[in-house]
Formats: sequence, C-alpha cells, structure tokens
Amino acid sequence: MPQVPIIMPQLGESIAEATIVDIKIKPGDEVVDDQEIIDVETNKAVMGVTTPCKGKIERITVQLTETYPVGAVLGYVEANEQDAARFAKHAPPASPQKEVAEEIPVRADQEVAPARGKKIGARDGDRADGLPVPAITKGATFMSPRVRARMAELQLTTADLAGIMGTGTGNRVTIKDLESFLHNIDDQTAHEASKIRAGVADAMRRSWTRPLSTIGSSVNLDPMLKDRQSRDPKPGLGLYALRALALALAENPAAAAKFFGNRMVQSNSIDIGIAVEAEDGIMVPVIRGADKTSLADLTTKYKELIELARQRRISPDMQTGGIATVSNFGIFGMEWGTPIPLPDQTLLLGLGVGKKVPSWEETKNEFVPKTEAQITLSFDHRSIDGGGASRLLKRVIELLEHPKEL
Amino acid sequence: MSITYLEAIREAQARLLRHDDRVFIYGQDVGGTFGGAFKATKGLAKEFPKRVLNTPISEDAIVGTAIGAAMQGMRPIVEMQFADFSSIALNQILNNAGTHYWRTGVPVPITVRLPCGGTKGSGPFHSQTMESLYAHYPGLIVMTPATVEDAYTMLIEAVTIDDPVVYCEHKYLYYHLKADKLPDKGLPIGRARIAREGRDLTIVSYSAMTQESLAAAEELAREGFELEVIDLRTVKPLDTDAVLASVARTGRLLCVGESFPWGGTTAEVIARVTNQGFHLLDAAPQRLNAKDTPIPYHPNLWSAHRPNAKSIVAKARALLRE
Repeated sequence: MPQVPIIMPQLGESIAEATIVDIKIKPGDEVVDDQEIIDVETNKAVMGVTTPCKGKIERITVQLTETYPVGAVLGYVEANEQDAARFAKHAPPASPQKEVAEEIPVRADQEVAPARGKKIGARDGDRADGLPVPAITKGATFMSPRVRARMAELQLTTADLAGIMGTGTGNRVTIKDLESFLHNIDDQTAHEASKIRAGVADAMRRSWTRPLSTIGSSVNLDPMLKDRQSRDPKPGLGLYALRALALALAENPAAAAKFFGNRMVQSNSIDIGIAVEAEDGIMVPVIRGADKTSLADLTTKYKELIELARQRRISPDMQTGGIATVSNFGIFGMEWGTPIPLPDQTLLLGLGVGKKVPSWEETKNEFVPKTEAQITLSFDHRSIDGGGASRLLKRVIELLEHPKEL
Repeated sequence: MSITYLEAIREAQARLLRHDDRVFIYGQDVGGTFGGAFKATKGLAKEFPKRVLNTPISEDAIVGTAIGAAMQGMRPIVEMQFADFSSIALNQILNNAGTHYWRTGVPVPITVRLPCGGTKGSGPFHSQTMESLYAHYPGLIVMTPATVEDAYTMLIEAVTIDDPVVYCEHKYLYYHLKADKLPDKGLPIGRARIAREGRDLTIVSYSAMTQESLAAAEELAREGFELEVIDLRTVKPLDTDAVLASVARTGRLLCVGESFPWGGTTAEVIARVTNQGFHLLDAAPQRLNAKDTPIPYHPNLWSAHRPNAKSIVAKARALLRE
C-alpha cells in the first residue's frame, strides 16, 4: 500500500519549528482522516498535528522532546490508492538542496525515502519547501556591504534594524527594505534625539548584547530608616545601598569582575556609580573608593555630584570607570525592576520602594508592621552565576539590615 | 533597407578602403571572388584591386607581415578565419604588436578581426571566444561589438587609432542581427552603453551575450523586475565607471560572458566592483560563463554549454531573491 507522509504543518505565521510533546498513536493503529495524533509545542502554544488521510500508521519517525522544522516528515500513514493519489497531487514539488523538502515524496506511489527525523541544526537549506515562512533565519543577521554602508551613513546600528521586516534570503533586510522603511518613517513625527538620549541608547544596546539576568529578594528598611534619623547629613536609601554594595564587594571583589575574551578582569578600586535621572536620560556619577569612604562622606560627595549634574557640569570621566552601579528605582514608586547593567560593568543593584507589610513576630505571636522593599541584582551571566550573585545580594541585605556598620 | 551585422563589417571595410589609401585587407581567401570564409570581404577585391590580399595558411606570418606594414605607415586589417586559429599568431600579436610602441616609440596600428563565438555544431575549434585572453596583455585594445551599429563604427575606429586592436566579431550575430541603417558616429571607444535601463539588478555583458541578456531582461520584466543591461562594447579598456554607476542604482551585479569561466572579463568586472564599489552591493556579485570544458559539437550540448537567455533568467532570479 502507498504511504503518505505526515508533515509538520505551518503552525502559524513566523513559526519555524516545533517540539514533539505527545505521540498519541503507535505504528499499526488505524486512524481516520484529520485525526489529532501528535501534540507539538511551539513558542506560542501546544497544537495538534493531524493525519493527512485515513489509514494505518506505518511508522513514526520522530522522538518525544525533540524539535523539528516546519515541513519535516513526522511519520507515514499507509493509505488507500485514492487518498495517496489525491495527496500526491497536492504534494509540494521536490526542490534540490533542501533537506526538509527531500523528505516529501513528489509522488506518493514512489518508494519513500528512508525515514529519518530531521533535527534542528542539521539543516542547511534556507526555506522549508513551499512554505511562506522561512524555517531557518540564519540569513537574517547578514547585512550586505551596501546595507552596512547605508547604516554607517545614517549612523544606524543593528538594533535599529530590528523592527524592519526583511524580504531577502532568510528574511534578511535588503537595501530596498531599509530604504522603504526610511521612507515610511518620513510620514511620522520625528525629531532628533538629544545627545544624552543617544548616549543612553548606545550604552543599553551594547550592554544588551550580553546574557543578562536579574535576581531579587526583600530587605527590611526599618533599621535603615531609624539609623537615618540619627545621622547628619541624612543619607538617601540609595546611598545606604551603595555603601553596602561597596563593603560587600570589598570582601569579595571577584564578584564584580568582567569577562573579557577568555580573561576575568578585576578592578583594583571599588568605584561605584549611582544612577541619576537627568532630562531625557540618565547620568551615572561614580564615587571612587566607596568601600573606603564613610557613609557621611559619601553623602557629602553625592550632594556635590548631584549639584554638578544639575548644572550639567558633570564631566564624562566622572561617570566612567565604575565596577557596579546602584539604581534606586523606588523613588519612582516602583517595587521591582530588571535594570540593565552598564556595558562595561557586570553588576547593577536596584532598590524598590518601601511598603508597610505585616510581618509575623514569633516572640510576640502576632503580626507587626514592617517597612519592606525589594532589592534586585542584575548581572552579566558570563561573569557570575546565580549562586555567586545570590551570595553577594544576601550580604548586601545583611549589611543594610545592620546599618550601624555602614 | 536592412543591414546585417556581417554586412556592417563589410561596409565598414569598404568605407575604410575608400577613404584611406593606407588601409589594406590581409587574410586567408579574403580576395579573389571568394570573399572570406564568412563573406565579410565579398566583392571588396573587385572594387579595390591589389588591396584585398590572400595569404598563405600561416597566422603567424600573416600578423607578422601586417605588423611590418603598420610600422611602415600602413593600416592593415587582418582577418582570421576563426578566432580559435589566432592562437598561432599569439607571439606576433602579444609579444610584437602589443609591446612595440612601449619598446620603440613606433606605433603598430594593425586591426586583427576575430570571428568569435559559438554557432550550433561548430565544436571546440570553431566556437571559442578569445577576448579575455587578449585583454590580459598590455598594449592591446579589445573590442566586442554587440550591435550592427557598433560593429560598423567600432571597426572604423579600430583602424583609425594607432594602437593594435583585436576586433572580436560574433559569428552568431552575423545574420541574426539587423539594423535599418548605419550610423555615422558611435560612442567613443572605451565607453560602455546602457542597453536597457533598470533598477533591480545590473547585468554586465558584451558581444552576443548582450543580446541574450536583453532577452532575459525582457522575460523578467513580465515578473515585474527591471534589469539594467550594460553592454561593455570594449572589454579593454573597461568602462568601470559605467558599471559602478549602474550597480549604484541597482545594488546587484551579474556578469555574463561566453568565454570559459576561469578568470576573464566577468571576473575582472567583479574584482573592480568589489574593490571600488563594495558598499554599493546588496548581494554577492555573480557571474555566468560557458562551462569549463571544450565546446561540444552537439547542438543540444552546445546550448547547455554557453549562457543563454534562459540560464541568465535563472541566475538573475536567484540573485534577485538574495
């Protein structure tokens, strides 16, 4: 009896591959037309693959948990001659050089190719045969010399091209795509970005090329709030966090090391920046030797820096060379965030807004009010792992909850 | 009135003989009543007695004699029966004619006519194109006319200029191409021509491949693609500026030549564009040449061996998709 292939269908626009999560039938099972036999999971949803026609399952050529491209052969149904002929008529034409398509026989009555599941990564064709959406997008990152030249002329980066739908091989952006995109922008309102906006955009784009991760925990602010009343000048909570981070890093400076090539690069000085919102951007003045500066001195220095920043007199070298940065996003009323570390730094400590929460007091056997905030640590995962980052953050929390030591 | 490419070559020679006493035609069977293997000199011996001269069957001697005459102030036109046989005269053309002015200050204004390119069933010794070989050597001008008009005006110019000229006339175009009338003046030597304007892809070609490329452009126009076709006219000097200007418009380059694929004119064009116009390219430049085998006799094999409108369409379509 002729065999009809069961094909991984086009499961939606821009879906190129899917993972087998359930196989509901076994070879020899009788199936009806359009019966759901295999569940596949895409990056959007779990969907069912159905039989192309009624018949008997001849074999299944794929394995659970493995991922296959759209157009891949998942198995074969032994069908009657009529169904086989009908299917052959609708089968997409075979195309050379395309491994995915090789497995789709042109004529169902021909002897089928040996069944072998095609795994992602083993392909080198650029398009699943007959499908409107590319199964591989390796070409999408290619930029022709002309596109590069035009980008240089317009001072664009690859991040700027992210929103352009490419029509070239593997959806790459051709010069025509870029020019028509530029043409369409003309219809919208646009103004030149400020220098500081462009600077932040550039720093964030460069930083985002790295594998960034964020962890978070809660911290009790009450000891700090109490301690603050006894100090003059009164430090902001962000400065407490900065000082705690500096002391924690002084104990373990390797935690802030930067991965570069195949080396870990570690600064000799605990210089920590603090993010300050400026008009249309962010400035990050750096406090040098923050581990060797008392909280009182930190407060004075910070005030000087803020004053300079307001007068726009803060120089670039006052903002460079830090090994980590503190962002007190709590001042915007936010509880939690995943700030992006500066591109030349591994760590960013974030502090959320304090909130009164009920806290169970074991000794009194009752809930008591406590001021709690979320504290986050964003890190470059190339340099430090979840464990290392957690130990550092725990130490910071410990120091913050004992503010007399700061 | 209708004039073929071959008739244009004959008319050009007649005009040259008529207006310049220094001109004579020298080749195998060009004189008498025979008029050459392809009749490019038919009737000329009668109209210009003693100026259309038959030679022995020795390409070496023919070109050597012509060089001597040119050094003495004559303007000889040498006809090779087939371009393929000019290899016997390579020493005279490349080493003597090509270097003479540079060595001595005495110019060698010879014109060597090479009936080039394939026709069905002509096989390996009567089908070859030689322009890339001659273009490789310094001191020569290499012309490859693709139209009746260029065949006429470029041959006249070839004889007029003082450098040795290799004039590659295409045998397939002899009878296939026709024009209403002959022009008085053509584009300057060394200037390429935009044979068809377009915006999506540039085809650079010359000689018979210009005609195939135009047919391919016509075919792709039905699919909505506008191909620009550049006819180089002379492969040496090569009009790099015209090619770069076209690639600046289109971003894509396909070079088509009938010669063998190893090196050659198409490779030279791509080398120049990638050197000087890398930033203009939106896809890797491509080229299409004959196959890297001797040219087959059988008409079907011959058709598959050299580029034609169909294979140019396929190559261009793939490049347009890049």
